[in-house]
Amino acid sequence: MSESKFKFAFYLGCIAPNRYPGCESASIKAMKKLGVDLVPLKGASCCPAPGAFGSIDLNVFYAMAARNLVLAEQMKMDIALLCNGCYKSIWEVNHKLKHNQDLRDGVNEVLKEIDMEYKGTINVYHTAELLYNDKFIGVEKVRASVTTPLTGARIAVHYGCHLTKPHKDREFEKDVMLNTEHPVWMEELVAALGATPVEYRNKMQCCGAGGGVRGYDIVHALDIANEKLINLKEVGVDALTDICPFCQLQFDRGQIEIKEKFGVSYDLPVLHYAELLGLAQGMSPQDLGLDLHGISCESFLQKVL
Amino acid sequence: MMAEKKKTTTKKTDAKKEAPAKQVAKKQASPAATQQKPSIGVFICHCGTNIAGSMDIPAVQEYAKTLPNVGYVDNYKYMCSMPGQAVINKAIKDNKLTGVVVAACSPRLHEPTFRTATKEGGLNPFRFEMANIREQNSWVHMHDHDGSTEKAKDAVRIAVAKAALLQDLFPKTVPVERAAMVVGAGVAGMQAALDLAAAGIKTYLIESTPSIGGRMSQLDKTFPTLDCSQCILTPKMVDVGRAELIDLMTYSEVDAVEGYIGNFDVTIRKKARGVLSMAEAETKGIVGGGCNGCGDCEAPCPVIKPNEFEVGMKPRKAIYINHPQVVPLLYTIDFNACIKCGLCVTACGEKKAIDLEAKDEFVTVKVGTVILATGFDIFPIEKKEEWGYKRFENVITSLEFERLICASGPTGGYPVRPSDGERPKKIAFVLCAGSRDNTGVGKPYCSRFCCMYSLKHAHQIIEKIPGCLPIIFYMDIRSFGKMYEEFYYRIQDEGTRFIRGRVANILEDPKTKNLHVFADDTLLNRPVDVEVDLVVLAAAVQPMADTDRTRKLFGVSCTGDGWLQEAHPKLNPCGTTTAGVFLAGVCQGPKDVPDTVASAEGAASAASIPIHKGEVELEPYFATCIEERCAGCGMCVNLCPYTALALVEKDGRTVMEVTEAKCKGCGTCGGFCPGGAIWMNHFATPQIVAQIDAFLLGGGE
Repeated sequence: MSESKFKFAFYLGCIAPNRYPGCESASIKAMKKLGVDLVPLKGASCCPAPGAFGSIDLNVFYAMAARNLVLAEQMKMDIALLCNGCYKSIWEVNHKLKHNQDLRDGVNEVLKEIDMEYKGTINVYHTAELLYNDKFIGVEKVRASVTTPLTGARIAVHYGCHLTKPHKDREFEKDVMLNTEHPVWMEELVAALGATPVEYRNKMQCCGAGGGVRGYDIVHALDIANEKLINLKEVGVDALTDICPFCQLQFDRGQIEIKEKFGVSYDLPVLHYAELLGLAQGMSPQDLGLDLHGISCESFLQKVL
Repeated sequence: MMAEKKKTTTKKTDAKKEAPAKQVAKKQASPAATQQKPSIGVFICHCGTNIAGSMDIPAVQEYAKTLPNVGYVDNYKYMCSMPGQAVINKAIKDNKLTGVVVAACSPRLHEPTFRTATKEGGLNPFRFEMANIREQNSWVHMHDHDGSTEKAKDAVRIAVAKAALLQDLFPKTVPVERAAMVVGAGVAGMQAALDLAAAGIKTYLIESTPSIGGRMSQLDKTFPTLDCSQCILTPKMVDVGRAELIDLMTYSEVDAVEGYIGNFDVTIRKKARGVLSMAEAETKGIVGGGCNGCGDCEAPCPVIKPNEFEVGMKPRKAIYINHPQVVPLLYTIDFNACIKCGLCVTACGEKKAIDLEAKDEFVTVKVGTVILATGFDIFPIEKKEEWGYKRFENVITSLEFERLICASGPTGGYPVRPSDGERPKKIAFVLCAGSRDNTGVGKPYCSRFCCMYSLKHAHQIIEKIPGCLPIIFYMDIRSFGKMYEEFYYRIQDEGTRFIRGRVANILEDPKTKNLHVFADDTLLNRPVDVEVDLVVLAAAVQPMADTDRTRKLFGVSCTGDGWLQEAHPKLNPCGTTTAGVFLAGVCQGPKDVPDTVASAEGAASAASIPIHKGEVELEPYFATCIEERCAGCGMCVNLCPYTALALVEKDGRTVMEVTEAKCKGCGTCGGFCPGGAIWMNHFATPQIVAQIDAFLLGGGE
């Protein structure tokens, strides 16, 4: 295998390593095949969660995110991460600190206590962005890396909210990623794996978990997820894919909770795009930790393997 | 500022050293300039409390008295009033003033007023200089009394410095060609052309599409009178076709423009139409030939394309007319689609109207004035992705609905759902679709006629489809015109449902293709989800795509949103900052039919004035060449944006010569000339240097 062209500090966040380790291993292995090295960002803390921290104390929110950024600055690497929530915290704080001197001074005042200083020397990317943007990888390279095409699988995409919203606070090199109302770039990535992307009603609706709703009022959170599951059932899909472990948790564990609380079951496999990519590149379900999912992926695996 | 003022004495000597050079320049440029010692009158306007409320007028007056060359100072409550002008008039005569400074509002407002007053006092009107202490001072520093007083002193000092160096200037008059041009033949362009022709002026009416009529001819009925759009428009179209003084050029575009007010040379590209009119056939010696609109050519044509007039909802052939009422009744070949099979030529037979090898032709005409009436297009509403236009079959635009409800439209006037051809039972109208939108995707302005035509659409549904419920989602209903609010009441009474709330999102039921319209009902303070079987988006309007190209050809400005800019939004709505070019209709900003026709008549009136006068005065702000200094390098010739400069041989030397009528006085050449050989009338280097010195040196030389 040729020398990797790009190196990123890989920020894991909380849910991926603790609940869905397959996202982590698949990201590292699959991206390596695509010429991108993900180097562990050692010593990182929680991003911190934008809803839970950001709505309580912004100073803590900025300082914690800035500390994670400084760790990557010290490695002289841009950050890559695989979670929409982490993206909101780390990308947005990086963006704000770069453009707001007062905020930056305040944050550095706090960081001084641990002998750190935020300098604003790195950028932050979501792995989905690296996969889609041909400056790094691009859809064609993803397609070329597939050894086990997911032919015949009907897969719906859940984009999640924080990667592209709020629209006015986001900048992407690829214009199509700025589309918040009806994006289709993830569908391109799904099709690149040989699967059939499926449109469904109200695709851009929230999963219901974010903003602390899942922690604060689980019934309402599940109600929102349930509506999406109804819309997915309407068109009939083999799996739902996402690019955010928190959304994945909401749809995966959430189905079990919905069954308990509302008495309906869907048994819809939910996979992070990294897991799909890993499968399509020939990783085994065990390597991907798919057996750790709340909802069995067996029906989906039988269809594609 | 204050620190720099102290340097006055030290700098004085430098300034004096340059004085002789300035004198030379001045003498060269204007031998008539009087060398009498300047005596400037300064007149400070209170503008009621507009200015006096924000600064200390007596302090400014006392300061003005201390300035060099000032011979008289006064103030008045309203300087622009007749008594105010009389103050100026009397002071000039009593004090033998050589120049006048009025410190008041913007020169865009009252420069002409005070120039007249200066002239009535016995001075050349160009001996007047204005200091703006209102728009650029009291209004922006309303709560900084001391600061605005100091700034007013600066403004007066600067104006006095220039006024002392002003010279007599004499506007030139040029004859005006007795012909006009109207670009765009929608209802605005047609009305303007008819008025000009009625006033005895030869008018060239240029239309880029094959037929005149524009947007209005696509409409079914007009609000609030509900008369049939075609019925009231067709007679006008026929009149345009018949009018002897109107030279109608359809399927033609403006290609190039040269010249200036009174003498525009406009080159028209007559796009290859492939079909000869009867008149054209006659000039080519085809007796009794040419297109008579019989349509024999259309039937055998094997190429099918979408009909633009029907917003793509009906087919047409590669040789086509868009609808039966076209004027001129003349077929057109779409050469981008034509496969040149020749079947139409055979069908046309002895009339020999079809020429498959036709090429674009160019003609140049001379006109005195021009009216731009280029109209509007529909905002590509698919950009507002949350409403799903072009994604959901049963989401259409109002213009599409207009064709569906029109008796001559693709469905014979009975609207159907695009997905299944069924008659709709519940139709949602989404107002402000892309208008009044501050998200950056749509347009910030109000498109002005969507409320009214949507009310009309609701009425038409109730009239034509028994049992069908129209639901209007609105932010406000803007029914501002004559009999409009009454029309709104009528529609309410007829049973249309109104929901006050901007539509957030539209979702399609994948099975039935019905649509769920989500909005906040802001009157009942609750979210609503209304299932309908057809959604009509009242899409915003925007300037035609080629408006920008056209306006640049004529040197007309546009506002940030692309609409062409009038000379003054209230007091000169039809004029532009380019003399001799006028605006009519929606190209200047959204207007309904009555306002469009009114603006067209206004533009026609304005455009006929210079033609009837027969000559126009040109502002004397042109460049002049100081031939002794000109090295004939020709750099200025290339820089001039108006092609007003040329190199000529004079007394065995090559020097630059200015075509004064073409020069707009922009100063590009004057600022660049390496030899200082170009004198910009009224904005001459010594005058501008004196202003800069007065500002930086605080009243020195």
